[in-house]
Amino acid sequence: MNILLHELRAYRKSTMIWTLSLIAVVALFMSFFPSFTKDTEEFRKLLEGYPVALREAFGINLDNFFSILGFYCYGLSFVTLCGAIQAMNLGTSIVSKEVREKTADFLLTKPVTRTAVLTNKLLAALISIIITNIIYLAAATLLAYQVATVDFKVSIFILLSLTVFFVQLIFLALGIIISVVVQRIKSVLTVSLATVFAFYFLGMFSSTSGDEVKRYLSPFKYFDTAYIIEKSGYEASFLITGAVVIIIAIGASFYIYAKKDIHSV
Amino acid sequence: MMNVIEIKNLTKTYGKSRGISDISFSVEEGEIFGFIGPNGAGKSTTIRTLLSLIYPTSGSATIFGKDTVQFAPEIKKEIGYLPSEVFYYDNMKVKDLLNYSASFYKKDCSKRIKELAEIMDLDLNKKIDDLSLGNKKKVGIVQGLLHEPKLIILDEPTSGLDPLMQQKFFELLEEENRKGATILFSSHILTEVQRLCNRVAIIKEGKIVTVEKISTLKENTYKKFKVETKETLAPYYFNLPGVNKLEVKGNLTSFLFKGNINEVMRKIAEIEITNLWIEEPDLEEIFMHYYEKEA
Repeated sequence: MNILLHELRAYRKSTMIWTLSLIAVVALFMSFFPSFTKDTEEFRKLLEGYPVALREAFGINLDNFFSILGFYCYGLSFVTLCGAIQAMNLGTSIVSKEVREKTADFLLTKPVTRTAVLTNKLLAALISIIITNIIYLAAATLLAYQVATVDFKVSIFILLSLTVFFVQLIFLALGIIISVVVQRIKSVLTVSLATVFAFYFLGMFSSTSGDEVKRYLSPFKYFDTAYIIEKSGYEASFLITGAVVIIIAIGASFYIYAKKDIHSV
Repeated sequence: MMNVIEIKNLTKTYGKSRGISDISFSVEEGEIFGFIGPNGAGKSTTIRTLLSLIYPTSGSATIFGKDTVQFAPEIKKEIGYLPSEVFYYDNMKVKDLLNYSASFYKKDCSKRIKELAEIMDLDLNKKIDDLSLGNKKKVGIVQGLLHEPKLIILDEPTSGLDPLMQQKFFELLEEENRKGATILFSSHILTEVQRLCNRVAIIKEGKIVTVEKISTLKENTYKKFKVETKETLAPYYFNLPGVNKLEVKGNLTSFLFKGNINEVMRKIAEIEITNLWIEEPDLEEIFMHYYEKEA
């Protein structure tokens, strides 16, 4: 419990900053919506002029682009990108922070098991992400109501927004496994930015080729917004893949961390 | 008497570097046990294995009769550890860090924290960021002692402390020892060990060279002879069994001797001398002796 509270306190500031940033991104996008809908036809013609591959790479779907939900999806991909960086940062710093600040000796000579240490740290990261998502969801929904000109399904809006959370969970798990395996990480941000952008671009290229199987390569493509809008649900196969990735990464992290030598630096 | 620490054939090998091999010794309840050796000899490796920060390749160790790997969290309730380099969560006040440290032990440590901070002259309201190395060290000392542990493990604890603080720190340790705490004190500074410890283990290149009482260590060793004569002696004059490092420099002959001292005295009586020094070697020389013998 004490570790959990200590960690939460340590993440407090960054969680607030990330939450506000996510809201700022979505607010920026939403503020474009009114002017967008005014000139729908011209925009549609303009976008139709773009190659299909480019449109797909940026997640622009002409069928629903001009509805509030479709428009939101476009902004959402950037929110997801930011969210992924936040989660990856949290995950990567969980263990590496202790090594870098040389506090591992402090914590691990206390009467606690390593499993308890990792569990508490993981919980703290998870709670930070959940808080971010709750605040983000509330703010995004409010914004959507503000700018929407016609009624939209809130349930779908929430389903769409939750994809940020799911992608964050995957990157949190990836971050943890990296921080446990790599002996010493000098800069968390470098590692997390590199990983997140690698997957982001991998996702972009996989969607241009239109190959379904390639979608499994990037967590950013696990949630097809057009599918969610149409079916009001997620694709089971990708949900399962995501869950498997998370379970394996976290399970392996616990296993490795319990066996690992903590070297002095 | 019960052994608080028992190390049996402990071996830890790393990929390339040496680690420790086949280390065995025990520390009895209530003693201050010195663990000496130069940097890189394996002192920290041994200590980190005891604390299960790293795991042994083979062999085992028990603390309070319990296996250090299997019962690690339980054992650590009664251990206070002070690493050689202390770096604590920077963004915290001293007070907050000590309270965080105390929160791991199921007892109220607030009174002890205040006492220790007073003794060590430590300002509890400062941010750890703003502390000097010496003051950070003090935070480490208070952190290691605040839960009144039965076993105190110190890994080169004095670096960064000024002599006055070092003195206070040693007094503090002696006080804890009187109250019943066992202390394992690792150092490469011999005078510290000589001042504080009852017994020592000397470690070299990952192996224990000897485990001795400090007093025996000093008894059973060489005496230093320095003889000043009127005339230069033949270099072989003192060439007796038991003589070592014989040096003749002009009228001054010096050597180390171990054995029946009367034999040397007889030899000395036969010559005309102007001055004579017979000295006990200090721990440093004993220590160097162990090192040279092996080399």
